Amino acid sequence: MIRYTGKRFLISLLSVWMLITVAFFLTRQMPGSPFQTGNVSGEVLEQMEQEYGLDQPVSAQYVTYMRNLLHGDLGISYMNPGESVTEVIARALPATLSLGILAVIVSLVAGTLLGMLQAFSQKRWVRTTILFGTIFGAGIPNFVIALLLALVFGVQWKLLPVVGLDSWTSYLLPVLSLAAYPTAVVTRLMCHTCRQELQKEYVVLAKVKGLPMRRIAWTHVWKNAWIPVLNYAGPAAAFLLTGSFVVESIFTIPGLGREFVNSIANRDYTLIMGLTIFMGVVVIGVNLAVDLLCAWMDPRIRKSYLKDV
Amino acid sequence: MYKIGKNAGKKWIAAVMAAFVTVAAAAGCGKTDKAGAEERKERNSITVAASSDTGSMDPAGSIALTYLTYSVSALDELLTFDADGEIDYRAAESYEVNEDSTVWTFHLREEAAWSDGTPVTSADFLNTMTRALDPKSGSGYANYLFPIRNAEAIYNGEMESGELGVETPDDYTLIFYLEKPCVYFLDLLRLPVYTPSCSTYAKETGSGWDTDPKTSVSNGPFYLAEYVPEQYMTLKKNESYWNADAVSLDEITYRFFDSQEAMLYAYESGEADAATGLPSTVMSLYEGKEDLEITETIATRYIYPNLNVEPLQDVRVRKAISLALNRENLCQAVGGDTEPTVNFIAAYMKDKTTGNYFIQEAEPPFQENVKEAQKLLAEAGYPNGEGFPVLTYNYPTLEMDSDTAQVLQEQLKKNLNIEIKLNAQELQVNYSERRAGNFDLCRMNWTADFADPYTYLSMLLSNSTYNCSGIQDAQYDALVAASDTETDPAKRAELMHQAERLAVGEQFYVIPLYSMKSCNLIRPKLEGITQIAATGALEYRYAKWAD
Repeated sequence: MIRYTGKRFLISLLSVWMLITVAFFLTRQMPGSPFQTGNVSGEVLEQMEQEYGLDQPVSAQYVTYMRNLLHGDLGISYMNPGESVTEVIARALPATLSLGILAVIVSLVAGTLLGMLQAFSQKRWVRTTILFGTIFGAGIPNFVIALLLALVFGVQWKLLPVVGLDSWTSYLLPVLSLAAYPTAVVTRLMCHTCRQELQKEYVVLAKVKGLPMRRIAWTHVWKNAWIPVLNYAGPAAAFLLTGSFVVESIFTIPGLGREFVNSIANRDYTLIMGLTIFMGVVVIGVNLAVDLLCAWMDPRIRKSYLKDV
Repeated sequence: MYKIGKNAGKKWIAAVMAAFVTVAAAAGCGKTDKAGAEERKERNSITVAASSDTGSMDPAGSIALTYLTYSVSALDELLTFDADGEIDYRAAESYEVNEDSTVWTFHLREEAAWSDGTPVTSADFLNTMTRALDPKSGSGYANYLFPIRNAEAIYNGEMESGELGVETPDDYTLIFYLEKPCVYFLDLLRLPVYTPSCSTYAKETGSGWDTDPKTSVSNGPFYLAEYVPEQYMTLKKNESYWNADAVSLDEITYRFFDSQEAMLYAYESGEADAATGLPSTVMSLYEGKEDLEITETIATRYIYPNLNVEPLQDVRVRKAISLALNRENLCQAVGGDTEPTVNFIAAYMKDKTTGNYFIQEAEPPFQENVKEAQKLLAEAGYPNGEGFPVLTYNYPTLEMDSDTAQVLQEQLKKNLNIEIKLNAQELQVNYSERRAGNFDLCRMNWTADFADPYTYLSMLLSNSTYNCSGIQDAQYDALVAASDTETDPAKRAELMHQAERLAVGEQFYVIPLYSMKSCNLIRPKLEGITQIAATGALEYRYAKWAD
């Protein structure tokens, strides 16, 4: 296990380094400059690029960046020199995280319940309604749902706020938009596995014993059918942390996604790098943790892995 | 299918209903429409929807939209001009200038105070200039200090900052010594680099003093009370302000948005009392309603033809393209916030000495004429467009520019039988390709920095950094240089008209398309919002709720 852990850890470290390197050279490849905004004159632009070392060869800039990074210094945001990249991440993370966690919870709970309802209900209209719901939920991109919700609940009915995260009501629309897709996926998954479980012998036995269907569903089928859903929860959580870019822009939520989009548009190199590294480390870290957990639970995995590598 | 109990279906319906009730309950709490505006009215406060939060609030720092939003309500420049071209004295109460416009002396208001109660002194003005002339500051406006003696040398590191041609003989006198006469110097004073920053706190650019309400003091009607990056900033009335009696509001909150649609939603849902720079579709949406306020923006959209590209170095070809366009149709297709123009200088820029629009004081530089355009193209060797190479038109991927590009393509095909290839680029890419001169035809937009035609004319000078199409015209340079030092307003205006006519109507260095308007929504009960003459932006310092 120690050998396995060591190897996986090294490979993760290598992935992070690769990510940083590729991201660094790609951002410098983009045309444009962080200081190039509307009316800035050419001489001022050149002087500033010199000041920040952007006139140096990219390889030299890379060495400097990596040296600072190893000292834990992600640099300052070019667009707002008063703020360090670490501060930007610390400021934006809570908004993204709270929305993401809420959306995961909503999608797991609603998806599980709807999926079971679809599997067990005898009413055709209930099944059809949920089926269409999942088709829409999985098929319509979340920014379209976000715009629709903002239009209907915010602009037409004026029921819910569409700007920022000031009170708990502000969370409703963004969380709904973010949860739509994972809810649809969980619903389908749950319905599918429930139906599979129903064919199994233990269900038949329970029925023969005379247990009511309600009890079979809630005490036996539920637990077994939920395992694939749990497997999906990992990638879903990572998706919600990184995938809320557009929804954050629509509802003007000061989260990581909005920072990311703006930093790219502004060519704020240090901020692009900082956010890429942060999100990369989160995703790679989650995968590492899941792998280690699986290997710990199932020795076959780590054995086959060590053989392959 | 199996059945979970008899009433399972009904229970589910009940659960879904319960969820809706929750939303409806949320509705009650979140009810924001008129209640929001009413509530703000009672507190004597307003919320303004502002474009995205970018840049610092330090006048000597790297500034963008946030500073522009903040400064109109929080900072007093030395003086500015009102809509009629009259001087509006703010931090200064008078000024003198020597005969050849090279020494400008300003007398500051002795009663002016920062929001922490300390007096505003001449050293505070010098503080901003000294810091802005250090390239580390990241000030994009530093070049506007270059008319001051030694400023450019200091910026380039060739001189010490102490050698700047600015004197502060006492706390309330500020003297500028210029390199050469500058008749539009007063217009420059509204720029950030000429705005004061309190020497007590603003010691270092980028230290964060500007966004911390404890140290971010202001000398204008409002001061920064709270700043939440990317979300909002709240400004409160500055009771130490010399003109505090004229200020009615107690509080202004600026909320930051990334998209025009989000701003529109915020206005419609009652979360903002004013939203500016909205998409032109708002015009039809709000037609006939009091909320709609169309304002003139001091900006021109035009095309740069690259003079180093065959066949654009031939003036006949440039002229043919310019004459063949139908700007009226173009604007109809692009939107109601555009107005056709054949001038380079923004159509809504005023001549301060006469009070009229500057461009209307002279004949238009040229007139559209498809027949003549076809003739010119034939003379240049391309009868009916035959043999004319396919030119590429670079433009940023904004909706307005994409629409424009398509209309241009169609009109040139129809009127001259020439093809242009459309090349949509991300804004940053468009900027840098233009700067590098990598284009045949390139879309350009210029919003005035200050209220003088020089802000436009200077761009086409042979040595200008904005001259990216290879213009080298000694005659033009001489005309602009002459206008620069001419102290008689009428003679100066004539020189500038001549320069524009030469550039746009004879040499066709630029192909003007349209001037811009801004589409705004403002609660009808909100009064006293004025427009800044130099840029056309809205100013809320004297706004108030009507009874």
